[in-house]
Amino acid sequence: MALLDRLGKEWLFFDGGTGTILQDWGLAAGELPETWNIRHQDKIRTLARDYFAAGSDIVNANTFGANRLKYPDHLEEIVRNAIKLAKEGRHEARRDDDGYVALDLGPTGKLLEPLGDLPFEKAIEIYGEVVRYGASEGADVIVIETMTDAYEIKAAVLAAKENSNLPILVTVTFDEKGKLLTGASVETVVALLEGLGVNALGINCSLGPKQLMPIVQKMTELSSLPLIVNPNAGLPKSVNGKNVYDMHEDEFASLMGEMANLPVQALGGCCGTTPLYIRKEIEEVRKHPFPYPTKKHHTYVTSFSTAVEIGTKPRIIGERINPTGKKKFKEALKNHDINYILSQGLAQEDAGADILDVNVGLPEIDEAATLVEVVKELQSVTGLPLQIDTGNVEAIEKAMRVYNGKCMLNSVNGKRETMEAIFPIVKKYGAVVVALLLDEDGIPDNADKRIEIAKKIYATADEYGISHDDIVFDGLAMTVSSDPQSALVTLETIRRIRDELHGHSILGVSNISFGLPERSILNANFFTMAMQNGLSCAIVNPNTKSMMDSYRAFNALMNYDTNFTDYITAYANVEKPVVKATTTMSLYEAIKRGMAQNAAEATRDGLKNKDGLTLINEELIPALDEVGQGFEKGTLFLPQLLMSAEAAKAAFGVVKESMAGEAREVKGRIILATVKGDIHDIGKNIVKVMLENYGFDIIDLGRDVPPEVIVDTAIKENIKLVGLSALMTTTVVSMEETIRQLREKKPDTLVCVGGAVMNQDYADEIGADAYCKDAMATVHYANKVFGIEE
Amino acid sequence: MMEVRKSEIYRYLGYSKRKKIEITPEIDHLIDECIADLKKVITPATVYKRLPLKWLDEKTIEVGGMQVASTSLAKNLQGCHEVFLFGATIGIGVDRMIKRAELSKMAKAAIYQATGAEMVECVCDELNEQLRQDVAQEGLYLKPRFSPGYGGTPLSLQRDFERILHMSAIGISLTETCLMVPSKSVTAFIGITDQKTKSVSGCAACDQQDCPSRKE
Repeated sequence: MALLDRLGKEWLFFDGGTGTILQDWGLAAGELPETWNIRHQDKIRTLARDYFAAGSDIVNANTFGANRLKYPDHLEEIVRNAIKLAKEGRHEARRDDDGYVALDLGPTGKLLEPLGDLPFEKAIEIYGEVVRYGASEGADVIVIETMTDAYEIKAAVLAAKENSNLPILVTVTFDEKGKLLTGASVETVVALLEGLGVNALGINCSLGPKQLMPIVQKMTELSSLPLIVNPNAGLPKSVNGKNVYDMHEDEFASLMGEMANLPVQALGGCCGTTPLYIRKEIEEVRKHPFPYPTKKHHTYVTSFSTAVEIGTKPRIIGERINPTGKKKFKEALKNHDINYILSQGLAQEDAGADILDVNVGLPEIDEAATLVEVVKELQSVTGLPLQIDTGNVEAIEKAMRVYNGKCMLNSVNGKRETMEAIFPIVKKYGAVVVALLLDEDGIPDNADKRIEIAKKIYATADEYGISHDDIVFDGLAMTVSSDPQSALVTLETIRRIRDELHGHSILGVSNISFGLPERSILNANFFTMAMQNGLSCAIVNPNTKSMMDSYRAFNALMNYDTNFTDYITAYANVEKPVVKATTTMSLYEAIKRGMAQNAAEATRDGLKNKDGLTLINEELIPALDEVGQGFEKGTLFLPQLLMSAEAAKAAFGVVKESMAGEAREVKGRIILATVKGDIHDIGKNIVKVMLENYGFDIIDLGRDVPPEVIVDTAIKENIKLVGLSALMTTTVVSMEETIRQLREKKPDTLVCVGGAVMNQDYADEIGADAYCKDAMATVHYANKVFGIEE
Repeated sequence: MMEVRKSEIYRYLGYSKRKKIEITPEIDHLIDECIADLKKVITPATVYKRLPLKWLDEKTIEVGGMQVASTSLAKNLQGCHEVFLFGATIGIGVDRMIKRAELSKMAKAAIYQATGAEMVECVCDELNEQLRQDVAQEGLYLKPRFSPGYGGTPLSLQRDFERILHMSAIGISLTETCLMVPSKSVTAFIGITDQKTKSVSGCAACDQQDCPSRKE
C-alpha cells in the first residue's frame, strides 16, 4: 500500500536514533557516519532490519549527512548503498509490503546567503543531487529532518519536489523556547511547510518528549497536516563532553502515549532511542484510538522568523517601498541605491508596520532581477514579512522562490487568465494572496458584484487546491471625489467579506481621498470606518501620524491591544533626550557632540542667515576636522567619531534639501570592497561613512567581492582609487589577487588597504599603494590622491 | 550568561585609560542601550568534547583525527594527554542587528560589534569555568584556551572542529574560507593536565604583538 494512502489515516511509526547507535558500535569522534555505507555495510543493514522488525514503518536510510559538500567524491555510491542496505534490511525483517525506506536529508551544515555564503540555488542543487540518486535507487519517501533554518528547509523541499514525485515529510528541531536556530517560530515553520505543500510535518531531536509537549501542542493547534514527533530519549546529560541520553524505554514509551493524544499521527524517536524504545512505544501508542488530523483555519504571513496572523486584528502593511509618485525612490532604483530602499523599510518597521509591501516596478529597470535583490536584501535586515507587489509573472515566480518564509502576494484578480498564470506559482511556493475584486468586466460599482467576483476567486482557488485561508480580498478603495458612492460600496464589500464569506480583506486606504484637500483627515477617518467594518489589512504609510493614531486608537478601544501596551508605548511621554533639541546649540557643537537631531535643527536655523555652503565650510567641516583630530590623537574613540559623522550626515541632508540637489561638489569617486572570501565588512562600512562625510562619492561593492567585479567596475567607472578590506590572513590572498588584476588591467588606479590583520609591511608585500590604519587615515589618503588640501 | 563587562566593550572600541578620552553620557547611554538590545536577540550555545591527545613529535599533536604541527599550540598543550575541543556562539541575531545598524546608525553597529565580542567571551568563560570544575574533581587542571588561527595555526582547523563537534547543530557554520557564521562564535582547544602550572593566559600567552585587541 502506498504511504500516502496510510499517512494521516492510521498510526505510523518512525525509526529511532542512528548516530547514537553507530557510536556504540564504534563510530569514532569525527568519523563521518555515512562512510559506513561503504565500510560497514552489514551494520547499516542490521540497523535498518532491527528497526523494521521492531515495528517501524518508515526507516531512514543512512543518508542524513550525505551531500556534495561532505562527500565530494563518493556521494552517489554512499546514497545508493544506503537505500540498498535499508531495503535489504527491510526484506530481512519481512516488511517489503508495509515498510517504507526513506531518503533522509539533514542540514547541509552551511548557512545560506545573505548571512552565510551558500547561495539558495546552490543549496537546492546540493539537495537535488541526493534526491535524484535516492529516488532512482527506489526510496519510498523523502524525510527532511533535524532542520534548524527555515530557508534551508525551503531549499530541501523544493529540491525534493523538483527532482522526484515522492511524498515529503519534514521534521524540524526547536530549542526550548520553540525557535529554530535562525529564529523561526512554530507558526512560521507550520505556515512555511503547509505553504510548500509537504505531506506531513513535525519535530525531531531537540529535546525529550516531556519538553517537546508544549511545542507539539502548539503545532496541533496550527497545522491541518498529519503530525510527526520523533524526540530524543530525554535531555542529554553531558558526560565528559559526550551527550548521554538515559531516559528508560518504559518512561519514553509512556510519555509517547501521552504525546499521541495531543494528537499526533506518526511517532518514533531520535538520539538515544533504539529498536527496543520503538517497540515499547508502538505497544503503548496502539492502546490509543487513532486521531484524524483536522482542518485548522489560520492565515499567517511569515518571514524567516516572524509570523503575522491575519484576521485576529487589523494589520499595517507599509506602502513606502514603491516608486509610484516618489521622485527620490525612482532615483534610488535607477542608481541601484539599495541602501535607500532598505532604510525606507526600516523606517516603516520602526513606525509600526507589520508587513512591508515591496514594489519596484519601473519601466527602465529589470523588475524581476531588482525585486529579487531587494527582497533578499530586505530579508537580511528586517524580520518583517514582505508583500511582493507586482503584476509581472516572471518577477512573481523569481521573488517567491528566493523569499525566505511564506510571503504575501499582491495580486491576482477575478480574471481567469490572471488566476491561471499565478495560482500555480502560489501552489508551488505557498503565499497569502491578495485578490482584487475586479474581473474581465472591470471594477464593479456595487458590492453585490464584488462579492460575486470574490466567490468566483474562491472557486478557482479550490481548483488549484489553494485554501480560502490564503486569500485576502482587496475591496478596492476608489476615489470618493469622482464617485460619492464609492466609500460606501467599499465599506459594504469589506463588511460582507467578513460576514458572508468569513474571509479576509485588504485596502489601499489612502486612494479614497485623491483630489481633495487635507487628505489625511479623510484617510484617517475612512481607515477607522473600514476597520470597524472588518478590514483585516491596511496598506498605508505608517510614517503618517494620523493613520497610526486611528489605528492605535481602534485597537485600544476594540480590546486588541492588551494592557494598552502599544497605545501607551506610542503616546505616554517618551523619555526626553539628555539634551533638549533647542536651537541654542550651534551646528559646530552639535556635530562635535554627535547629536544628529540637534545638528539638523541647527542647520535649519543657520540656513535662515547663511547659505548652505558657508554653513558647511564654516561650521560643519571644522567640527568634523576637530573630531577627526581628536580620534587620531586618541582623545576620543570610535563611537564618538561615528556619532559625529552621523550628525554631520544629518546636517548635510538638510543643506541638500534646501539646495534641491547636491550640497556640494563631489571630490572624487572611490570604490570600496571587502575582498572575496571575507564576510566581515563593518570596518569597510565605517570607512565609507567617513569618506562620504568628506565629500567623496562611494561605490560600495559590498563584501565577498570577486577581484573581477572590482576590476570591471574600476574600468567601467574609470576609478582612480580603490579601497580594499580584509579581516583574516586567509583572505589577504584575495586582496593580493585583486591588486594584481588591477595592476594588469587598470594600472593607473591606486589601491589602499586596511583591516584587522593589515599593517604597513603586509601592505607593501602585496603591492598596495597605501596602508590606512583607520577611517581617518583613509580620508587623508583620499584627499592626497585627489589633490585636496587639508 | 554572566555579567557583561562594560570595560571590555570600551576596550574593544578602542578606549584606553592611557589616552585622555572623555566618555560622554550620550556614549555611555548608547552602550547601555546596545547591551540591552543584544540581550534580547542572543541565543548562546556551546558544544564540546573531551578527547585523548596524541603526541606525534614534540610539536605535532593529533586529536580526533586532526593533526596540528604548531610550536605555539604544542607549548600551550605541553604535558597534556587529553584535551577539550569546544565551540561557542551567541547566535545569528547579533549579525542581523549589526547589519541593520550599519544602515541606520553606524555608531551602534560598532558598539554591537564590540558588545557581541564581549558576550561570546563571557559564554566561553562560563563554559571554561564549568569544565575547570569538572576536571578539578579528578584532580586535573586546565590550560588556557587556544583558538584556531592563534599562533600561526591554520584556520582550516575549523573544518576539523566542525567534523568532530558537529558545530552546525548549535548553528555555527563555516564559509568556504573557514570563517565562522555567526560572526560572534569561538572555537578552541583547552588542554587537560595533571600539573598545576602557573600558566599565562589571554593576551600575555599570545605572540601576536601587533594584534589590535591586545590588552596592555
